[in-house]
Amino acid sequence: MVDFGRVQKELQECNKDINVSGISVNPKSDNLTSLIGTIPGPIGTPYEGGTFKIDIDLPDGYPFEPPRMKFATKVWHPNISSQSGAICLDILKDQWSPALTLKVALLSIQALLSAPQPNDPQDAVVAQQYLKDYQTFASTAHYWTESFAKTSSLGIEEKVQKLVEMGFPEGLVRSTLEVVDGDENLALEKLCSG
Amino acid sequence: MDSEDDMHDANDVDSYEEDYYSGDAMYSDDDDDAGYEFLDNDSDDSDDALVSRQQKNYTILKEDDIRQRQEDDITRISAVLSISRDSACMLLRRFNWSVSNVHEAWFANEDKVRKAVGLLDKTDIKPPKAGEVACGICFESYPLDKISTAACGHPFCNTCWTAYISTSINDGPGCLTLRCAIPSCGAAVGVDMVNMLASDEEKKKYRRYLLRSYIEDNRKTKWCPAPGCDCAIEFDLGSGSYDVTCHCSYSFCWNCTEEAHRPVDCETVSKWIMKNSAESENMNWILANSKPCPKCKRPIEKNQGCMHMTCNPPCKYEFCWLCLGQWSDHGERTGGFYACNRYESAKQEGAYDESERRREMAKNSLERYTHYYERWATNQSSRQKALADLHQMQTVHLAKLSEKQCQPETQLKFIIEAWLQIVECRRVLKWTYAYGYYLPEQEHAKRQLHQCAEKELHTYLNEDASQDEFNNFRTKLAGLTSVTRNYFENLVRALENGLSDVDAHGASSKTSSSKNAAGTSKGKGGKGKASSKGGAASRNDDSTGWSCDQCTYMNPKTVTSCQMCHTSR
Ligand SMILES: [Zn+2]
Ligand SMILES: [Zn+2]
Ligand SMILES: [Zn+2]
Ligand SMILES: [Zn+2]
Ligand SMILES: [Zn+2]
Ligand SMILES: [Zn+2]
Ligand SMILES: [Zn+2]
Repeated sequence: MVDFGRVQKELQECNKDINVSGISVNPKSDNLTSLIGTIPGPIGTPYEGGTFKIDIDLPDGYPFEPPRMKFATKVWHPNISSQSGAICLDILKDQWSPALTLKVALLSIQALLSAPQPNDPQDAVVAQQYLKDYQTFASTAHYWTESFAKTSSLGIEEKVQKLVEMGFPEGLVRSTLEVVDGDENLALEKLCSG
Repeated sequence: MDSEDDMHDANDVDSYEEDYYSGDAMYSDDDDDAGYEFLDNDSDDSDDALVSRQQKNYTILKEDDIRQRQEDDITRISAVLSISRDSACMLLRRFNWSVSNVHEAWFANEDKVRKAVGLLDKTDIKPPKAGEVACGICFESYPLDKISTAACGHPFCNTCWTAYISTSINDGPGCLTLRCAIPSCGAAVGVDMVNMLASDEEKKKYRRYLLRSYIEDNRKTKWCPAPGCDCAIEFDLGSGSYDVTCHCSYSFCWNCTEEAHRPVDCETVSKWIMKNSAESENMNWILANSKPCPKCKRPIEKNQGCMHMTCNPPCKYEFCWLCLGQWSDHGERTGGFYACNRYESAKQEGAYDESERRREMAKNSLERYTHYYERWATNQSSRQKALADLHQMQTVHLAKLSEKQCQPETQLKFIIEAWLQIVECRRVLKWTYAYGYYLPEQEHAKRQLHQCAEKELHTYLNEDASQDEFNNFRTKLAGLTSVTRNYFENLVRALENGLSDVDAHGASSKTSSSKNAAGTSKGKGGKGKASSKGGAASRNDDSTGWSCDQCTYMNPKTVTSCQMCHTSR
């Protein structure tokens, strides 16, 4: 059984200094086993300016078993799957300790964004590119940050409105937005490429 | 060391001893390793027969023996290094239970060893004298009596400790190296904490892991691989034959832990076992006899001669056997029917020949393999049967026989020995097939001996125990057993020496004498009808003694009537 008392404490603690760290954890619903974490892209990296969402699932044994975390935001990084968002990080596996917290885990993920470890890759394609052609890697990562990690504050109707104004038929706009999970940048990209 | 640490240590010993010395730990003044072998002497006569035959270069350890040894090692380290038993245990585990390695490393650099194992000798954390302390896991505050700490002093509440330890124990043997939950701390959490905070079930599991570690991490010990057997074998490394026989009567190779396979080497056995995996042979069969339909992928057997293949319904795809290309491409455009351009060009490049040749070889090798495998498997099952019979003999027949013949069971040991010999023969015979399979085709001398052995050995294996003419039977069987044993030992030695010093002629003359002796027992039931005249002649040449005409028993030169059946020479 998840120790909800502790989870509650963790949420309060984490969100107390959100203005300093930029890191927050919030329940997805009333259920405290399913949470969403947010980390800002570290400054001076291709992830700067982006806001990255992390899906968090707490197993029954939490905090004695590690939380399950993966990127909900698409990200281009050697240790994060560009397909599934899976994260290769030791403290989420064998190095987990019950004395660690969700916030510490999110901080570690943020640190991973700053310091990729291409020799222990989760995404082989990205890792190859990182090692062989850093320039291309950096611009791809930056492009992904711009495309996926900078969600505007617009509501879905506003997005539809905006795209229709650009000259796309409303039906197509709606279905496209649905496919890309409401991401207006991605929808625009799709609409332009036909 | 401050006084608190000393207190801690003293407590260690208490809880430790209580838990470890209770129950079944066995005390013995007997320092002799061999003592372990005779612990269950009375219950198991069959062991003696095997033991007496070879010089033992191994020791069988039962669970109590293992615990005792582990305790002794811990006691020794704890005394010499003046550390708690708990710490000694963690040190030993770290150094694979080698007392000498612990000594060496400790006296070379104690600090380094302490750090590696997580044995702190002081802590900076001062526990408060009173009031409440926050648990580092659930973040709640608790009075001091609800809080526990490892040597480092990091406070966690007892509930969190229990969950922490329990999670680790249920995760597997990694619990033996459990550390404080504060990642930067590294202080070891040992058996004293486990005993204090874990459930009985988990304590049991933990102790099981500790025991397993003692055997599995030690270079000189291995578990008996027989299912359900709890014994371990300590082996004198570098002392020759790896064959060991456990108390449970299972014989295995200590080196590779496969079933005993003397005279075949471990490498051949592992190759053979791999080979036997049905999958790889199936692949070979398909390779040799069929090709997958390029469309539906079902294997299609070639119809003799014709390259035009038609897949089974409903697929009915038509293709070329040689190139797997669509058959309709093989018409006039490719130079007429039955002419395959791709085949021709591939043949010119030599590519086709190679693959077809491999196909051919695969087919041949398959036939050869089947020959050896069938015989290997037959001996395997015969051996199983003999083992079952032996068991039946030991548990049922022997007592009956003892009653009927008015002889104590100990006098009937020779029957068990005979059965054991049969089981052993089956085992050797079985492995000669794996050996035969890997003999290079060119080595005719060896092959001949193998075939010779194969034929000869079979004649020894038809003996059946009977109660008729009991004395005759006994003497004959005893003689036969020793003849067979000699023969097999020679064979095994010859095979082990790679046969370099044995030519085919020598081998067959060696076998001829034993063959004749064995002839007495040929035929079902072995009721002792036949005599052993043939065997006696050649054996009596032996300067060491004479073989009885009646029963084949090998008597010393000094006696004139057979010691077994009293027939005059
Ligand atoms: Zn706690
Ligand atoms: Zn600690
Ligand atoms: Zn055994
Ligand atoms: Zn072996
Ligand atoms: Zn087909
Ligand atoms: Zn063809
Ligand atoms: Zn005799």
